[in-house]
Amino acid sequence: SMKSKTRLGDGLLVASLENYSPVSKIGVFVKAGSRYETAENLGVTHILRLASNLTTKGASAFRICHGLEAVGASLSVTSSREHMVYSLDCLRDDFDGVTEYLINVTTAPDFRPWELSDLLPRVKIDKAVADQSPQIGVLEKLHEAAYKNALSNSLYCPDHMVGKISVDHLQQFFANNYTSARMALVGLGVSHAALMKVGEQFFSTHTGAAAPGAVYRGGELRVQSGGGLVHALLACEGAAAGSAEANAFSVLQRVLGVGPHVKRGSNITSKLSQGITKATAQPFDVSATAFSATYSDSGLFGVYIISQADSVINAAMAQVIAVAEGRLTADDLTRAKTQLMADYLMSLESSEGLLEELGVQVLSSGTYSSPQTVTQSIDSVTSSDVVKAAKKFVESKKTMSCYGHLANTPFVDEL
Amino acid sequence: MSSTVCPRLSPAGSATSRLLVGFRKWYYNACGFNKLGLMRDDTINEDSDVKEAIRRLPEQVYNDRMFRLKRALDLSMKQQILPKDQWTKYEEDVYYLEPYLEEVIHERKEKEEWAKN
Repeated sequence: SMKSKTRLGDGLLVASLENYSPVSKIGVFVKAGSRYETAENLGVTHILRLASNLTTKGASAFRICHGLEAVGASLSVTSSREHMVYSLDCLRDDFDGVTEYLINVTTAPDFRPWELSDLLPRVKIDKAVADQSPQIGVLEKLHEAAYKNALSNSLYCPDHMVGKISVDHLQQFFANNYTSARMALVGLGVSHAALMKVGEQFFSTHTGAAAPGAVYRGGELRVQSGGGLVHALLACEGAAAGSAEANAFSVLQRVLGVGPHVKRGSNITSKLSQGITKATAQPFDVSATAFSATYSDSGLFGVYIISQADSVINAAMAQVIAVAEGRLTADDLTRAKTQLMADYLMSLESSEGLLEELGVQVLSSGTYSSPQTVTQSIDSVTSSDVVKAAKKFVESKKTMSCYGHLANTPFVDEL
Repeated sequence: MSSTVCPRLSPAGSATSRLLVGFRKWYYNACGFNKLGLMRDDTINEDSDVKEAIRRLPEQVYNDRMFRLKRALDLSMKQQILPKDQWTKYEEDVYYLEPYLEEVIHERKEKEEWAKN
């Protein structure tokens, strides 16, 4: 497979990987995630995520939808806290016909007021579905508690902004963030020359605005809700994506355990699971897992526990403290490194995973590291790196978010 | 009704265009809806395209339209007209609905074109 990468004059990065697949997958990655929202336009990325099929200057909403459907292509948008990703799948032969829709959606949306107000029910449905899921709730609350700005913004539109995001908010956010310098055009199964031609049509007259760095503060948010379970997520500030420390945290995550690798198995290799089994006889969710999230300038690392008992969190902490005190065998380390490498390589097996990895790397660092480079850097993590990472977790200011029946759940300063 | 009458920027000093504008003004006043304080687009027949275009009006424009319609209905009930200084003038008449209506018709035609193939 051939990889090519160029940076166009206006700052747009174009990268392609020719895998001779009959299906082409093109993604536009924009640095326009929820961290770039300001206090006045909270929730604008949620609306933008839903607004990809609306009328643009070059094509009406009707034409985008029917044009794509006529050739069996699909256009979808996902967004994270850092990036907004527009991905277009089509058959290789139809590539030339459908790229105009992608270009229109990412550079020239019209934002018509009546189309935006028609989006309101979809925003409400998204929020209702998210409210039903304790996992999403606990993750959003963790970020809200952990950071003072940027990364504390939720992926969902806050209640007080539903219906109040106006055309001006959208246009301003668009002008500040959808500039060519903040975008990367990535293609799988396309020739680099064809992709470059598409990239040249991504002219952008917007100037863009600088964004603040994320500041970690550490805090606690608890949400009482019904039900018999407690979802608790306890984290500390980790490392930024791509750094050596981030690799150490990822290996530590695998040492502690990320869920059973054998279906219906007893999760012997997970230190967290084993430690907690000894601590409590009550059933707890087997996905007492280590949690890790990395962003361009910060990260979070911790443990995520779903349980009924109250001593589970302390038992989980005890496991991490054990690693911090150096109780880490060479076998554990090798096993964790192998699992991490296997997970990483397996994620690249699917075209979605590969496109995402390619896009995020190209956009964040301007280059793409081959899987061999990544696995080598994972292999170079030593036992002392992992112990240092665990020590950092034990000693630094922690953040906790819990959700559920919290009568017996300890507070973060009691741990 | 009078949807064929439209303002046109007359080139300076052309005799024919001054005649045409004069005729248009006379026709506008002869129609008589300006005596009830209405604008041309207030009187347009509401078919489905027009209804969709009205739905898309910005709030302020929509509220003004509703006010003028209510006032005209009230006057009509009382068999009165406005005093002459409050009649809508030819120069002040804004065809506010036209851009929205054109867009709606364009979209409908696009759908019909697509359905043909």
